[in-house]
Amino acid sequence: MSNTETKTEPSDSLITTDVETESNDRTAPSHRTAVAARDLNVYYGDEQAIDDVSIEIPEKRVTALIGPSGCGKSTFLRCINRMNDMIEVCRVEGDVEFGGKNVYDADVDPVALRRKIGMVFQKPNPFPKSIRDNVAYGLKIQGFDGDVDARVEESLKSAALWDEVKDQLDSSGLDLSGGQQQRLCIARAIAPDPEVILMDEPTSALDPVAASKIEDLIDDLAEEYTVIIVTHNMQQAARISDRTAVFLTGGRLVEYDDTTKIFEDPEEQRVEDYITGKFG
Amino acid sequence: MATDTDASRVEGFGEVSRVRGIAFEYLSLGASVLGIFALAVLLIYVTIDAFDLAGANPLWLLTYFLTLVVPFLGFCLYSARDPTLTRRAVAVGGGGLVAVAAVFTAIETFVGQIPRLNWQLTYLFVVVVPLTGYLVYMGARGRPGSVGFGLIGRLIGGAAIGMAFSVLFLVFDERLWFLVYTLGVVPAALVYGYGHTRDVSSALTAALPTAILGTLLAVFLRPIIDTYPTTVFIYLWTLAIPIAAAGALVVDARSSRPKAVLAGGVPLGLAAVVGLFGRAIGLGVGGPNALLVIAVAGVPVAVYLDRVFDVGEGVIGLTLPVLLIAGALAGAAVVETFGIPTPSPWVSETFLTEAPSRNATEAGLYPAIVGSVIIIAMVAVLSFVLGVATSVFLEEYTADTGIVGALTRLLQINIANLAAVPSVVYGLLGLGLFANLLGFGFGTAVTVSLTLSLLILPITIISAQEAIRSVPDDLRRGSDAMGATRWQTTKNVVLPEAFPGILTGTILALGRAIGETAPLIMVGAATTVFSPPSSLFSKFSAMPMQIYAWANFPQAEFRYGVVAAGVITLLIILVGMNGTAILLRNRAERGD
Amino acid sequence: MTDSTESPDLQRRSGLTRLKEGTYGGFFAACAVITLLTTVAIIATLLSDAVMFFAEVPIREFLTSTSWSPNPRGGGQTFGIVALVIGTLTVTITAAFVALPVGTLTAIYLSEYATSNARSILKPLLEILAGIPTVVYGYFALVYVTPALKATMFPEMSTFNALSASLMVGIMTIPMVSSISEDAMSAVPDDLRQAGYGLGATKFEVSTGIVVPASISGIASSYILAVSRAIGETMIVVVAMGAQAQMPAVREGLLGVPYINPADTLLDSGMTITVAMVQIAGGDLTGGTIPYDAMFALGLTLFVVTLVMNVLSDIIAERYREEY
Repeated sequence: MSNTETKTEPSDSLITTDVETESNDRTAPSHRTAVAARDLNVYYGDEQAIDDVSIEIPEKRVTALIGPSGCGKSTFLRCINRMNDMIEVCRVEGDVEFGGKNVYDADVDPVALRRKIGMVFQKPNPFPKSIRDNVAYGLKIQGFDGDVDARVEESLKSAALWDEVKDQLDSSGLDLSGGQQQRLCIARAIAPDPEVILMDEPTSALDPVAASKIEDLIDDLAEEYTVIIVTHNMQQAARISDRTAVFLTGGRLVEYDDTTKIFEDPEEQRVEDYITGKFG
Repeated sequence: MATDTDASRVEGFGEVSRVRGIAFEYLSLGASVLGIFALAVLLIYVTIDAFDLAGANPLWLLTYFLTLVVPFLGFCLYSARDPTLTRRAVAVGGGGLVAVAAVFTAIETFVGQIPRLNWQLTYLFVVVVPLTGYLVYMGARGRPGSVGFGLIGRLIGGAAIGMAFSVLFLVFDERLWFLVYTLGVVPAALVYGYGHTRDVSSALTAALPTAILGTLLAVFLRPIIDTYPTTVFIYLWTLAIPIAAAGALVVDARSSRPKAVLAGGVPLGLAAVVGLFGRAIGLGVGGPNALLVIAVAGVPVAVYLDRVFDVGEGVIGLTLPVLLIAGALAGAAVVETFGIPTPSPWVSETFLTEAPSRNATEAGLYPAIVGSVIIIAMVAVLSFVLGVATSVFLEEYTADTGIVGALTRLLQINIANLAAVPSVVYGLLGLGLFANLLGFGFGTAVTVSLTLSLLILPITIISAQEAIRSVPDDLRRGSDAMGATRWQTTKNVVLPEAFPGILTGTILALGRAIGETAPLIMVGAATTVFSPPSSLFSKFSAMPMQIYAWANFPQAEFRYGVVAAGVITLLIILVGMNGTAILLRNRAERGD
Repeated sequence: MTDSTESPDLQRRSGLTRLKEGTYGGFFAACAVITLLTTVAIIATLLSDAVMFFAEVPIREFLTSTSWSPNPRGGGQTFGIVALVIGTLTVTITAAFVALPVGTLTAIYLSEYATSNARSILKPLLEILAGIPTVVYGYFALVYVTPALKATMFPEMSTFNALSASLMVGIMTIPMVSSISEDAMSAVPDDLRQAGYGLGATKFEVSTGIVVPASISGIASSYILAVSRAIGETMIVVVAMGAQAQMPAVREGLLGVPYINPADTLLDSGMTITVAMVQIAGGDLTGGTIPYDAMFALGLTLFVVTLVMNVLSDIIAERYREEY
């Protein structure tokens, strides 16, 4: 599926070529750590969702979290911006460090944390507001005093949506197609200029063409932001990510390495089995 | 079971049970419509009594049927543009006429006279009214129909709200309002507008303190200043101009600047001219109330017209009011020329504008209507604020566990039980707490409004909770992930989405409040007052109280005339409110 | 767009922002607590005056005396609730005879037989029945129903009577029974119906033999709520039933078994608990007199009875929610 798809990608391939060169370029030097977890355990009531995970996620890279459903990859993602706080039975032990600071420290305000970390969800969830208001939402709630319109334009351009919507900024975000809605959500997430963008299976609700546009976009975003993406589509992880973390059942992080290494020569037999489709 | 038995017995058994099943189906269908049918019969009778239709000359009915009803039905059919529907409507109308006449005559000959009904009236209520209802529903689906009904609705609704405003100023000090508006509302709006257009967040936060400061200043200055503009100027400055400005802003955002000026300016100019010079130039109407009604009805109509012309479809529907007025005038002319005797309905201008009287023909509902309007306005504000705040707390601010969780469950159970407490007990609460203990007085607007607010609060809360719960969780999580605080998520995402639902629930609950009588009796509201109240602490009556008082009068003119008119007035107001609520809900569900 | 700083500022926000957040939360909580205070206020108001009443009139006398005459001018005052309870029971039972069967059949029709189109028309129409102001129902009963019944069936009926008031109360409570019962019936899983059809049962047999028994606790809870509503109903009875507290004649039937002829109470005027309250309120409202306090004693009785019934109905309804 992956190969044929990459070939049939729409050939406005200015971006695609960019991607090639850059992702080659980006694997080379080692980077500073943006997000790190140390001995992280997460429980939903009595059930353990994350089992003793330690990981260091590099800055301005695309890091993919893959694994079968229920393996804890989404839970891990939601620990980073503390969205798990919303679930009352959820209990977190261990550290998640963001810029060297444990986000579970008592003096950390989850609201302030989330303003530094953008998030894109599985199902596009634009607000029932105009396109402009959707993108400006984060700026508005953070009391941004600069030129809102300029920032909206910039973000829509970064999300590769500007050309499609520049004449209809005042129409509702819900009038867009599914793929456009998801790019609108990405624009919304990057408008307040976060440092990290979390993506929770951002293409799984989209058709293949819309999905490939998002994938191209993710590659671009990694120039500016640290992108952490959960996906159940291994080809996607292979295509877009620099680093890949494989979670297997029980919330354990089984292997974490450069994407090429994971997909070509994994250390663990279980990871190879999973990647070659023997289970999961 | 049936497998062991031979074929013939299975057959026989099946027959029996099928008959029983069909009988049961029709029995249950009959039960479903029993209550509705009984109510319909009672409503028909009360309508006949209120409009004196029993004494109406059949020719009079025929005239208005031909000049008013038939053109209206024609309009609906034109809008629906469905030949099958037209054929069916004609068949039902014609066939119904024959059938009703035949059945009715048969009943009269073989069973006996039915009091105060003849076949013409029966045809009117049994065939024409349901047919009209159905055709209105079908017609509204076509563009001309929806345009026409939209226009009529804005005209009537706007006029009603305009009158309600003028009624409110009977008890609220218009001069104080003038000062509050000039010193508080206008500066705050300017500050906010500045902050909004220039994106200065400090100006936005300053708006509320400005308003509070201005209000305090106004309250302080009210006893000091003793020269004020006339009422007409106060209404013009504080109500007509801002409404026109709001209308113009809406049009400006949608289409162009000149149209916006037109949409705001024309109704404003008309209202000002009629308000200031109406009587002087011999229009017969004028003064502050006319100004209010024209402004409140005119601006939405102008905005609506702009939209209709913008869309450009079904513009022909705008002629509906003309069609109706022309029909009414034509009917009146025919009745006049041929000298057809006209009935004298109990629901009349006198009835709506005069005070109660011992003499049935002079009796009016005016003070009670004023009382109801003021009470409903206060209940609306109180129960809306309390209801929304409580439901936001229960849906957005609570947890499932711990002390907060326990408190939430307690509140929830408590609200469910409060909803089932008999209204007469709320009356005792109002009597003991508000009237006696807190000293708000027996039967004053304050006591009555507080009591009724508490009475409908559980209903408001439960419906607001449902509306808030129906906002998808996706949106909340999306907002939370942007780093919005709980209040920001609630204000920016949850409340705007839930607002139509909350409004619908509140209006439906208000419909309950407007008909409540028992709590009013308990807190000592007056059964009959002869002049409209002059302050919030004077004795009040309300429409249901007046109906209750009149129902005890033994004379037939009261029983079958005045009270019927009161009931019809109350029911029309209720239908208007509930209809608005349901329209709001349907529009929100359609998503526009 | 910017280089990441060494350690991002994740500290709690400034005092002002937090104060703002806290103020909103506090305001919402305060409003929510008002509902709780309402209950407390109702109980306190009722109790404080009822206690004064029972200091003057012994509870025993209140509960057992058969005469209710709070009017001081008419010689001795007596405060016996029995006649009022009989009036209330008359109305409630008669109304139940209308509302319960009709409401149940309506619910069965809506849940089992009606097409979705019919349902979308019938349900709002039924809701109208509950939305008509009760004083209007009272007026209907007095002015239309009573004369009609008098002309056709009961010539000896008095102008104010319990029967027409009860019929109207019954019609008003139909939607309470039908909507809650229908919810319960719709909650019955389709598997059960399919199982019934699989055994060769007809629709009638499935409806009455499977759906109704399966949703019986929901139906029961709707009955209790409707009856509680009928007990608390005020304006219909005030307008249409008159205000004479009466003990019906006790007749002697077969083998000397005493019985009350329903016609004695139904066709004549009577007084319910709620009517007695309204009657006092219509006259004298200055606090401190015994009739004034009596009103609160009656209110307390009413409150306790309806509260118990609501809690009961809640507990029963909980059961059907748990079942599926």
